[in-house]
Amino acid sequence: MENEKKKLIQFKNIQKSFDSDIILKGIDLDIDENEFVTLLGPSGCGKTTLLRILGGFLDADEGEVIMDGKEISHLPPYKRDLNTVFQKYALFPNMNVYDNIAFGLKLKKVSKDVIDQKVMRMLRLIGLEGYENREINQLSGGQQQRVAIARALVNEPTVLLLDEPLGALDLKLRKEMQYELKRIQQEVGITFIFVTHDQEEALTMSDKIVIMKEGEIQQIGSPQDIYNEPVNAYVANFIGESNIIPGRMIHDKLVRFDETNFDCVDVGFKENEPVDVVIRPEDIDIVEPGKGKLNGTVEDILFKGMLYEVNVETVPGTHVTVNMTVTADTENEKSDGHIHISANNFFLDVVDMKDIQEKDLIARADAQAWNDETDEQLSIERVETNLKDELGAYDITFYTQDGLSITKHIRVIDQMVFKNDKKNEAVSAFNFFKTKDEIKESVALDTDLKTWANAQGWKLDNEDEAVELYAEYDFDPENIEEGTYPITFWTKGRELKIHTTDYVKEGSQVGLDFNPEDIHVMEKSRYSA
Amino acid sequence: MKTFKNLVIPYVIWSSLMLLLPMLLIVFYSLISSGNTIVNFQFTLANYVRFFTDKDFLLILWRSLIIALETTVLCLLIGYPCAYYISKCSKKKQNFLIMMITLPMWINMLVRTYAWIGLLSKGGLISTILGWFGLHDVELLYTQSAVLIGMVYNFIPFMILQIHSSLTKMDGSLLEAASDLGASPMEAFWKVTFPLSLPGVISGITLVFLPAVSSFFIPKLLGGGSWYLIGNVIENQFITVGEWNFGSAISVIMALIMMLLMALVRKADARAKKEGV
Repeated sequence: MENEKKKLIQFKNIQKSFDSDIILKGIDLDIDENEFVTLLGPSGCGKTTLLRILGGFLDADEGEVIMDGKEISHLPPYKRDLNTVFQKYALFPNMNVYDNIAFGLKLKKVSKDVIDQKVMRMLRLIGLEGYENREINQLSGGQQQRVAIARALVNEPTVLLLDEPLGALDLKLRKEMQYELKRIQQEVGITFIFVTHDQEEALTMSDKIVIMKEGEIQQIGSPQDIYNEPVNAYVANFIGESNIIPGRMIHDKLVRFDETNFDCVDVGFKENEPVDVVIRPEDIDIVEPGKGKLNGTVEDILFKGMLYEVNVETVPGTHVTVNMTVTADTENEKSDGHIHISANNFFLDVVDMKDIQEKDLIARADAQAWNDETDEQLSIERVETNLKDELGAYDITFYTQDGLSITKHIRVIDQMVFKNDKKNEAVSAFNFFKTKDEIKESVALDTDLKTWANAQGWKLDNEDEAVELYAEYDFDPENIEEGTYPITFWTKGRELKIHTTDYVKEGSQVGLDFNPEDIHVMEKSRYSA
Repeated sequence: MKTFKNLVIPYVIWSSLMLLLPMLLIVFYSLISSGNTIVNFQFTLANYVRFFTDKDFLLILWRSLIIALETTVLCLLIGYPCAYYISKCSKKKQNFLIMMITLPMWINMLVRTYAWIGLLSKGGLISTILGWFGLHDVELLYTQSAVLIGMVYNFIPFMILQIHSSLTKMDGSLLEAASDLGASPMEAFWKVTFPLSLPGVISGITLVFLPAVSSFFIPKLLGGGSWYLIGNVIENQFITVGEWNFGSAISVIMALIMMLLMALVRKADARAKKEGV
């Protein structure tokens, strides 16, 4: 049976821009009677603008606002049957608590004894009996908040608008006020439209959540719907914690990710359509290795009070290990009086040879010249090399302006690329030569190592998309000696976040289990998570 | 720190010599008979008695207070809407308008008042314009209206600046809240904007009333001697008649009246502050 509620407010194609910034891109939204509706989104998503258009403080550039079947787009605020609780309360500082609450009623010329009764009833509702004669600046933030709500509610509006009303309160007070607001809404039985950027607040209080991003509605639904069935990665990320994995829909009820097919309950996607898969951390169970749908290694475990947050690596990252040959400081340097020049031997990949330029050679050799008296950097004037576009060893000589030169070797090799199909990525890096001083003087060694080794990571399906690399080594940069050191560059593996009450040891092998209905398949989002 | 503190010494010496001493001398002079010297004198209240028993002097005092009151009321009535309008403009326009208000103050007050003689005199700009509307032979210069115009013109910037600064300090969301609760723009003004601007209004009143009550060259120039105010009496006693003792007594009386008024204003201000902010 249809449970049709009465539509109280309708936004029709609301558009708004400030100067050249488009804030709202055509909002269509219906709000029913007696609902607690939350407009949720990060700052700048247009939620407050939409609320202010409904309140009458802003005019939309385009579109209509309809309330109770009547168009109200051009009515001033004082002619609209709704009231607002402002972000910073906006209580009148020249009046006490009683006069603030009675403000609207006095304007409507309600008789004095009726005002008295209503104000007192409101004070009871917000739990501030006996505060009627207090001045506003004598109240705490939470009390001011309550007075602001009472001041709006006492007018018995059909809709109450709340613009991030809890933003200025501390955490404990926020929680209290969340229950308080929900209680008040249920008690007075009117529509609340609540604006917030706090997803937890939205989940706790709302009957309906409207998720906005960059002036557009992403999803409208009950907290359960939005949590369990987010329409895209943006919503899934914004609401609660989630694991979002890129995948491919094989056919209805079968999705493939991490090179494995999984049963799911989602239908309606095209065959082989790229999708995002979301699995909520609490839907994954940790089981014995080999007994679940996935296996992995526990990377870390964090105690979060009620539960543990466990990160399990299900697909290892990609590793490449290169050798760094450390030479004495004098080997790479020549001097003539105060003029010095230095350069390193280096490797080149044969596939990179085609469009290599002089400046690349200088950079790869890290060739530098300077005057130790004036501390001035000198330019490398000339480069001479017998470099050819094939495998082999070549010489390269760098010259300063004054003719001081240093000759080093280039080795052109066929560089290994390490591909990782499961993670859709590849990494490569070169062996390289450095002096002790260069390592000691590095201020950001991890970054420098990546540069020196020309370490790179990229997506297999899109070579322009870089994958972040991490460096790992086993030497003390402060006290490094001549010799050869292995350096490993690696990418992070696929980590799944799991919420559990059971402790597992870091580094242990575990199995991960989940049901087909715990997998939620979403349309590939335009937005990256 | 100690050497820093010592910097105040020249100021203390200067202000005692130039401010405190003359004031004490005025009080002293007002209490001795004329012809006395600093070494050879006799205390007397005759100067005060003379002022309070002479109807003419009391009338002039009354007239001075009334004209200062009229000036203040006019400044408030013209200045408030003006300040309100300015406070509603964009920041850039506000700066421009405030500069326009303060611009005339860069020119000497005396010169500006002289300019009004030209404007108000027969055949001057204003009587010519009135002539176009058939209002010939309107006597403007050397009337009470001329004095009032001069006073309002000279003192109104103080009123506008004070009110403007209290209006711009107000939180705009208060007006949105008032409108949200059903107040028409008019009701919102009287219930929110105006009460919250009262501190500015009160300091504006102080800054206009006090100089207006004791001004002497505006009534002298624009009133042409027929509109004698208390400031002129004091000036006359010192410069023309040479009755320093009597002039001092009137000065002391004026100072006491102003102190009393200031105290009243302070009290009202404190009450407004308690209700406001």
